[in-house]
Amino acid sequence: MRVAIIGTGFMGKVHAEAWTQTDARLAAFVGKRGAEGETLAQAYGVRFATTLEAVAGDIDVVDICTPTHLHLEFCLRAAAEAKHVICEKPLALTVAEGQRMIQACREAGVRLLVAHVLRFFPEYRLAREIAARGDIGEPAVLRLSRCTFRPRKADNWYVDPARSGGMILDLMVHDFDYARWVAGDVIRVFAKATQTSAPPGRIDHALAILTHRRGAISHLEGSWAYPPSIFLTRLEIAGAAGLIEYTSPATAAIEMHLRSESGASQDVPLPTSPLQESPYTTQLRAFYQALVDGTEPPVRAEDGAAAVQIACAAIESVRRGTPVEIDHEGELR
Amino acid sequence: MIRLGLMSFAHVHAEAYVQNIRGILDAQLVGAADDDPARGEHFAAKLGVQPFPTYQDLLAQHLDGVIVCSENTRHRAHVEMAARAGVSVLCEKPLATTLPDARAMIEASARAGVTLMVAFPMRFSAPVLQARQAVEEGIVGKIGCCIGTNQGQNPRQQREWFVKKQLAGGGAVMDHTVHLVDILRWYLRTEVAEVYAQTTELLPDGNGEVETGGLILLTLANGLFASIDCSWSRPASYPTWGGLTLELIGERGVLRVDAFRQNLIIYPGRSPEIQWQPWGSDANQAMMAEFVSAIREHRGPAVTGTDGYRALEVITAAYESARTGQPVRLPVAGQHTERA
Repeated sequence: MRVAIIGTGFMGKVHAEAWTQTDARLAAFVGKRGAEGETLAQAYGVRFATTLEAVAGDIDVVDICTPTHLHLEFCLRAAAEAKHVICEKPLALTVAEGQRMIQACREAGVRLLVAHVLRFFPEYRLAREIAARGDIGEPAVLRLSRCTFRPRKADNWYVDPARSGGMILDLMVHDFDYARWVAGDVIRVFAKATQTSAPPGRIDHALAILTHRRGAISHLEGSWAYPPSIFLTRLEIAGAAGLIEYTSPATAAIEMHLRSESGASQDVPLPTSPLQESPYTTQLRAFYQALVDGTEPPVRAEDGAAAVQIACAAIESVRRGTPVEIDHEGELR
Repeated sequence: MIRLGLMSFAHVHAEAYVQNIRGILDAQLVGAADDDPARGEHFAAKLGVQPFPTYQDLLAQHLDGVIVCSENTRHRAHVEMAARAGVSVLCEKPLATTLPDARAMIEASARAGVTLMVAFPMRFSAPVLQARQAVEEGIVGKIGCCIGTNQGQNPRQQREWFVKKQLAGGGAVMDHTVHLVDILRWYLRTEVAEVYAQTTELLPDGNGEVETGGLILLTLANGLFASIDCSWSRPASYPTWGGLTLELIGERGVLRVDAFRQNLIIYPGRSPEIQWQPWGSDANQAMMAEFVSAIREHRGPAVTGTDGYRALEVITAAYESARTGQPVRLPVAGQHTERA
């Protein structure tokens, strides 16, 4: 199958590199002119276009790596062209947008796979596997932290809530999905957020307590309040019969302390650990396999929508100052 | 010489306090009494402490102070007994399990003119003190948010009463919330304005009576928010009893203090159990020294009954929030006096 990557920014590059490690054929980049798209296309020896429709004849799969507010539009256009869709997390800015995407893909008879890459990080995957097979009993209290610095970009859509949904949706959605994957559906969310170093009105650090239908409770922490180039992640699953702990500093396989101030520093935070295969590659390989074989993908579109829903509940809770309930139909109350 | 007594060996800390008293040059442990005669005899013999048949017998020994280590719901009776005898008290935390009990204890001590100190040893922890110094100096800037953990093993493994609601007043929330509430009030010089809590009984050995896990999100009077994880989420195989950490998110950076990180890791040759052996300073020792100093110098202690009361207010609000699923507002600072 042939893939077109929509969006030639940070995630577009990460995905392009990952696609080269799979059996898929990267066929095109679609993006804005003058946004590195031409250079990228040249480097990978593929086409560049400014519209999805222009490359539709050459591709089977559309991989959406644009800012979040454009996910809906490109998904609908891909579905209209009867192309399978892979979409970066979060699925959409709102649950309603996510549901429109799911509906459009269903009607077009194409697949919609949401890139919740955390499910392909080996430490997170292993912890969930151990919990799922009952080694630590029923999960009871989860703690998930994702603390890093504020993304730095020329046109910084990450810090624009209208385009990214803000830190709670953009960053914490990873752990909202993970908490639900481990402990099941969420029925209540209470969250608080603060802005410490950013321009006014921007959320930098947030805490959320999730109540799961099966009785577990989860403490989630998301932060853009750390200095570059910190990317600190922590995971703790306390179950009825045991405990799993993980922290990124405790498992840093390489530590470097350089005397000089120089050294590459990322502009957009991305957690890394030395592995034979990047989790992004593992993810796209699994997605590609599901498309080729027509099997159930490891992350369903509905999982992506559910994660957006928890994030939106957290954002709403911060706004209201009260807990937000998610009822059986998935509506926020 | 400051003459001290120990009322009850119910709390797991009683054994450590005996050693702490012995570590103070001008203090003397006169003896101990326990309303559970078997427990009293066992620990008195084990620790080489003079046993007394009743609390009244112990209090008749011209004591300057007692350490009350009874079950949570019995604190009030024992503190009032000591106050009537004109003896100062260091009371194990939580001060009490109900606000009326706590208020009565504060009033009884004030009437008798004796000192009432609450055992919040974290006020004397070297890492916690040093971190507070950094906060005072503004190194991390204005604080926006705090994340605290005070997780532990289920104390039932050592004392069964911790999971009996009638004696403990509750489970993990009652046992493990007050230290961090007190640190937050002390660090940030503010009071708790709102409490949200969710609890679980999914963690084992709650005896079907008490919660074994809890997550609490506080809003402080100055608008800051802070979370506390009070869960008994450390299994029996955990290399230590638990721990206490606090992270402060400031506009100039992040500070994390771990009060119990100063350990050696021991891998015994024969047993498969990994152990952590602490080498940090003993906060309990410094706390006991403060209690003795306050008595000697006829002054109020560094941690007062009111501090214990405020921490208990948060606990009772947490239980109400967990029951209703809604945040519970507390009277803001300044209005406390009429209630207390």
